[in-house]
Amino acid sequence: MTEKKQKAKDQVLVVGAGMAGIEASLTLAAADKKVYLVEKEPLFGGKVIKFEEVFANMECSTCMAAPKQQEVLQNEKIELLTLSKVKEIQGEAGNFTVKIEKKARYVSLEDCIGCNECFEPCPVSLPNGFEENLGERKAIYIPCPGALPNAPSIDTENCLRFTKGKDCQLCKEACMFDAIDFDQKDEEVKLNVGAIIVATGFDLMDPKQISDFGYDGEANVYTALEIERLYASNGPTEGKITLRNGKEPASAAMIHCVGRKKVGYCSAVCCMYNFKFIHYLKEKLPEITLYDFYSDLCMPGKSYQPFYEHLKDKAESIRFQDLKIAHQNGQVRLNYKSLEDRDKKLDVDMAILAPAVVPAEGASELARILGIEQAENGFFGFQSSDRSPGESGREGIYLAGCVLGPEDIGKAIAQADAAAGKVLALLG
Amino acid sequence: MEKRHIMDRKIGVYVCECGPNIADALDIDRVIEAVSGMENVAVVERYKLMCSPDGKKYLAEQIKEHGLTHLVVGACSPKQHEATFMAVCEEGGMNPFLMQMANLREQIAWITPDKEKATERAIRHMKAAIRRVRYHAPLEKKEIECNPDVLVIGGGIAGMSAALLLSSPDRKVFLVEKNEELGGMVSRCEKLFPDMVKFFGNFVVTVREKESEPREFKVGAVVVATGADLFDPGALAEYGYGKIKNVVTASELEEMNLKGKIALEDGKEPKSVGIIHCVGRKEKGYCSEVCCRVGIKISRYLKEKIPGASVTQFYQDLCIPGSVAQAFYEETRNAGVEFVCTEAVKLSESDKKIQIDHDGKLATVDMVVLLPAIEAAESTSEISEMLGVKKGKGEFLTEEHEKIGPVTTTVEGVFLAGTVSGPKTVRDTVSQSEAAAGKILSSLVPGRKLETEARTSKISESLCTGCRTCLTVCCYSAIEYDESRGICTVNEVLCKGCGNCAAACPSGAATHQQFTQIQIHREMMEVLR
Repeated sequence: MTEKKQKAKDQVLVVGAGMAGIEASLTLAAADKKVYLVEKEPLFGGKVIKFEEVFANMECSTCMAAPKQQEVLQNEKIELLTLSKVKEIQGEAGNFTVKIEKKARYVSLEDCIGCNECFEPCPVSLPNGFEENLGERKAIYIPCPGALPNAPSIDTENCLRFTKGKDCQLCKEACMFDAIDFDQKDEEVKLNVGAIIVATGFDLMDPKQISDFGYDGEANVYTALEIERLYASNGPTEGKITLRNGKEPASAAMIHCVGRKKVGYCSAVCCMYNFKFIHYLKEKLPEITLYDFYSDLCMPGKSYQPFYEHLKDKAESIRFQDLKIAHQNGQVRLNYKSLEDRDKKLDVDMAILAPAVVPAEGASELARILGIEQAENGFFGFQSSDRSPGESGREGIYLAGCVLGPEDIGKAIAQADAAAGKVLALLG
Repeated sequence: MEKRHIMDRKIGVYVCECGPNIADALDIDRVIEAVSGMENVAVVERYKLMCSPDGKKYLAEQIKEHGLTHLVVGACSPKQHEATFMAVCEEGGMNPFLMQMANLREQIAWITPDKEKATERAIRHMKAAIRRVRYHAPLEKKEIECNPDVLVIGGGIAGMSAALLLSSPDRKVFLVEKNEELGGMVSRCEKLFPDMVKFFGNFVVTVREKESEPREFKVGAVVVATGADLFDPGALAEYGYGKIKNVVTASELEEMNLKGKIALEDGKEPKSVGIIHCVGRKEKGYCSEVCCRVGIKISRYLKEKIPGASVTQFYQDLCIPGSVAQAFYEETRNAGVEFVCTEAVKLSESDKKIQIDHDGKLATVDMVVLLPAIEAAESTSEISEMLGVKKGKGEFLTEEHEKIGPVTTTVEGVFLAGTVSGPKTVRDTVSQSEAAAGKILSSLVPGRKLETEARTSKISESLCTGCRTCLTVCCYSAIEYDESRGICTVNEVLCKGCGNCAAACPSGAATHQQFTQIQIHREMMEVLR
């Protein structure tokens, strides 16, 4: 067991290394706090690094995230713990004892230079979850080009050495820097921290949960994240938007509010990213016919409506009530009820679903470990009023980003700095 | 003099193999051969992995051993390891700004499949770096003392939230509000500050309190929380505001509710109320974010105070983002409040009642409540001018970056909180205020000095004609015009080294210290050869 003992009030734990967790860590480190930034994935950067561009200014997402990520990696006050999870918390504000389970990467971050020579010889191929299973990866892998830290990890659930006990060393032999170390062990890291910031983000609802939308991962019905990866220049098609058979779609329909009825809230960002998709699709396929199926347009704030005005003529907007998707032989049929209660249908090549933003996988377990309450819909901080949005209900533990509910990056960043502010005010 | 100095330079040139990354993609030996005879080049070497502990040690020793004055490292992107090699320079006793990297990995090796072409490009980029670095002059990082105190302008919810989190025994917070009471949701700031010398860590503020002498004090940072105004519905004829009886705004209804009685002008209770959303949205060109929720809240007031009244909402799009607002809406709808989706609304008086024409359909009510757009406060222009923070979309103050810098501005040390930068809910206002406080707590620590950017711009006193072109292009308010000498000067503490002034200066007086005319010229000559 690794034990890191220092004065608790000089140390802070940040759980989740997406944009909010990164921002909070950098702000805390600037105040000379030692920050332990815990991330469950082998890479960090959260959902934002899956996007090519960000609404409403259509800025390059990587260009926004990567400099901050580099800052984290180069900041001596921040220790990034990837493949790690919080297991136990004891104590109180000013003095928490935290146990972290840190899984072995089997690749030394000190020695690896990220040259990728180890992937090719690996005999195992499987769908790449980071790419929404639209591409493949090996058992030793970097989820996508440009992922940080720029070093692969071995997926022990698929590596032959770990699953079948084979003495396969092909990756190790290919490595010129002797960076692969099969003897690495999972560790338990014990930390003493004064405060905790929880920024574990969100997931998108699996549309398979609602049969009406006809999503099965095979028909030409796509989720928003699949479209993000198809458009991404570092994605599985290097930015080519194609149907499952490799052909280009001649028409596409974007469906807002998928799962909204089920979850009982508006996910805040879907209208805006659907407008972004209009831009994505028209840029790559200028001839494509687009339909935008919405119930209410949610584009709050000073800069979102101008973005919509700029794009709205490029798609036919259709206000719908109920909608069902059927598909046959690659064609997608939308059966819907218009606002005037008329039954209508429309055939398109591609349907794009905007599924509800839901609490991240494992949120309930984390809430239990942290001893904080969850709202009925699974988000944290429901007791915190408008007056103190980042309070968790437990002193010394603060919340930031989509763990509080769906919202855009700007709000998540403000909450991260607000949480850091509360920590600094608490610990001095 | 300058020339002889340049002749004496000893440039060390090092090519990192980056394992197979650079070594396999191009012919390093040919690169070495090509640059070896260049002017001032004292030594050229290759190394397996320069960023490794051994590599860094080797490089620091080379600087000392050969008495190098300048260094070129051909390796990866400076984003990756510039900081690493700058630290090595210091280790070797060299000013770190005398080092130049050539990006042989990301810009050449990884994207050029043809080895021959890659080698040629690498030669060009290495030569460019060598030619440019000859003209590098040492730069110094400066440290300045800072004042930890903070000025918060605006005593509404935003200002108070920031002030609360900031105040501590070793930090004074000056909370300035133009009204006599704190807590105004919309607080305005009139000309309180005729003079303000501004830069992070050291602002000088002059405040004029009512009927007293101006008072001057120093602060390290400023939080602007001056809020917003509401659009005047009287400007739009279709709503008849100020003309038709019993057409009121949401704030007027709030006031009635606070006083305990919601009534018509004749003192009677309204039996039917229409709530009109998006008043002024089209004119403003944006959605004010909070009005839908305000409308729902007001219908709750009405249902509470006058249980029998019928309440109808006329909306375009219901904007109720986030995990809790929809439940609030559904409860309200279930309590009998009607929601009617409509494009356009026109009000007229008919028989002491109000007729609402919504998309050609008619409804008649006793009272209409308008939900006006949130617009930039009148004071915003003055604040903008005083602090050098530009106005942008919707005439609100502009954040450094809407997504990743929502509370910082291009003027270091000036932070925005709440509706001064755009329509916002109370919740988001509070989180911005606390974020501004967080940023200040982390960057303005009592007793700690501030480090400033070394790669700044300079304006030559003798070349400057005082045309002030640079003033208009500087995003950081770092340039001032010196009336007495008729020239512009750069405040090195505020300058971020963006180079805008150097590019715009018609007389060549403004230069960026690490992008001088000659540095860029020599570099380009080789890259484009």
